[in-house]
Amino acid sequence: MNKSNDFTRRRFVKGLAVAGVATLGRPGRGTAAEKMVLGTWGGDYSKLLTQNVETPILAPKGIEVVHDIAGDPQRRAKLVAEQRLPRGTTDLQALSAAGSREMFNAGVLEPIDYTKIASAPHLLAPMKTPFSVGHIYSGQVILYNPAMISPAPTSYNDLWDSRHAGKVGVIDIQYVGMLEAATLISGGNMENFEPGKAKLMELRKLNFKMYPTNEAMAQALKTGEVGMCVMWKARGVMWQNAGVPVQAVAPKEGVVLYVSDFVIPKNAPNKAAAYAYLDAMLAPSAQIGFAETMGYNPTVSNAKVPDAVARRIGFTKDEQARLLSPNYDYIAKNDSQLKEWWDKIFKA
Amino acid sequence: MAPRRSVAGALVGPATLAVVLGLLVPLAILFRYSLNRFVPGRLMVEALTAENYVKFFTDPYYVAVLLRTLRVSGICMVLCLVLGFPLAYALARTGSRWKSVLVMLVVLPLFVGNAVRAAGWMVMFGSRGLLNTLLGVVGLIDRPLQLMYTEGAVIVGITAINMPFMVLTLESVIEGIDPAIEDAAASLGARPLQVFRRVILPLALPGVLAGTILVFILGMNAYATPILLGGPRFQMMGPLVYGQFAGLNNWPFGAALSFVLMTATLSLSAVSNLWIQRRYRR
Repeated sequence: MNKSNDFTRRRFVKGLAVAGVATLGRPGRGTAAEKMVLGTWGGDYSKLLTQNVETPILAPKGIEVVHDIAGDPQRRAKLVAEQRLPRGTTDLQALSAAGSREMFNAGVLEPIDYTKIASAPHLLAPMKTPFSVGHIYSGQVILYNPAMISPAPTSYNDLWDSRHAGKVGVIDIQYVGMLEAATLISGGNMENFEPGKAKLMELRKLNFKMYPTNEAMAQALKTGEVGMCVMWKARGVMWQNAGVPVQAVAPKEGVVLYVSDFVIPKNAPNKAAAYAYLDAMLAPSAQIGFAETMGYNPTVSNAKVPDAVARRIGFTKDEQARLLSPNYDYIAKNDSQLKEWWDKIFKA
Repeated sequence: MAPRRSVAGALVGPATLAVVLGLLVPLAILFRYSLNRFVPGRLMVEALTAENYVKFFTDPYYVAVLLRTLRVSGICMVLCLVLGFPLAYALARTGSRWKSVLVMLVVLPLFVGNAVRAAGWMVMFGSRGLLNTLLGVVGLIDRPLQLMYTEGAVIVGITAINMPFMVLTLESVIEGIDPAIEDAAASLGARPLQVFRRVILPLALPGVLAGTILVFILGMNAYATPILLGGPRFQMMGPLVYGQFAGLNNWPFGAALSFVLMTATLSLSAVSNLWIQRRYRR
């Protein structure tokens, strides 16, 4: 009886030891250190992150990524609401550049240590800030239907041309883009949109049509309800792929940049995985995947996009000279009053 | 007696707790938020100020949105009552063996979400939609009518969505009215309209009240239909509240808007309830 008991105890202890060694010896997959949460938009963006970054690059390294999907404003609210917590709920956040600047001003972001990102030397200069890493970028252009708008527009002023009255579409959620366009042709600059307000009021006399979403605008362009609008070039490429008959023109007044950023919250529980993610998303294969599918330009110099794609999504040297970076501090401080003006005065 | 009461009290307890935790506590938090101050980038700053309410009531834009919401909800409520009453009466009085199928047909639209139904109306109202195409084919119009993104489209959409609630509420009450009372009134010389006005309507009043209040509240809080059929230039309170919370992160003003909307809805429902009850009690 005693012998039997001893034997069982020994076997039990041996078993524990074997199990422990086995656990320690396994790759880190599934352990807390290798899991991370990414706050991101849903839809294509989330899907492409999985396809181009997570499955091919991070999964083999044993990093499991969970997406916390919501709109940009909701995730910004969450970052601010969680700022007092010692451990936040996300390790990395995808935000528009304007949104990441606002969060930096709110003091919720971790300074980026570029020595921890192997691909950092390839990052284009405008895509690096002390608190954010640019993932993809595009620029604001004029999209037009050549069958309805001829000759091709060259300037934002063409949207105000009375010959095109009734053919111009405006997207409600793109109020900042429209204010930027109006500002650039009325003496304002990226630090003062006030002159643009008066210019936009002139557009009201030209019977423009307003649509609630980007998708509604695409539909209107497709059916010929309108023939011209202001939009990101990348979105124009996606619409072209979907059969919308539009061409893109970089306006002579300037091409306002749109950058999609990644930021690390100060209270991110797994910053090591966040840095691994930043490095993976800058890998040439991942960047080319986004360029080919979504029409956004790579933010690293070592991602060589096929020429045919580059011609459709990129900007010529001449156009690159006209790239304008928005003043994100101005937008962060004024977004609320600009939206209020848009709703109460412009849309009234 | 005492143990029975304590058992009853214990049974009411979980529901009361659920209401307190799920409704009253969030409302109290929301009210506290409405007294805070919004600072861009910082979400909200602790304060004890009525400035969000002052902003609402001193700005003609926001007051106009509230009045528009009241107007649209009121019109939808009247349309649901006027169109729904005959349908509810017919359903209540029919002896057909298909009655349960007919009731199911009334309920059927509720199986489809608001957004999906609104999408259907969009296909109908679009400039190249079914309605404009039909009108064009029969030669009544030579250019498409602007049906989408109008108040009319929103009223049609909300009325269609809310109609089943009115019909079902009325039908259950009318079923409880003995048809013999109507026959008695008719045999005493009352014309059909008089029977309706003097007999059926007063007896169906509890259903009318419940139905109108239900439909009015649903109309006041409509979100998907005003967004999809009203378009970006048509504002009602529901989308306005959402825009402040989710678009601008202005929680204090969004919370104040929520309280204005809730107070307006509840007080108007209570006042109309009292007024109708007094009028028909005589």
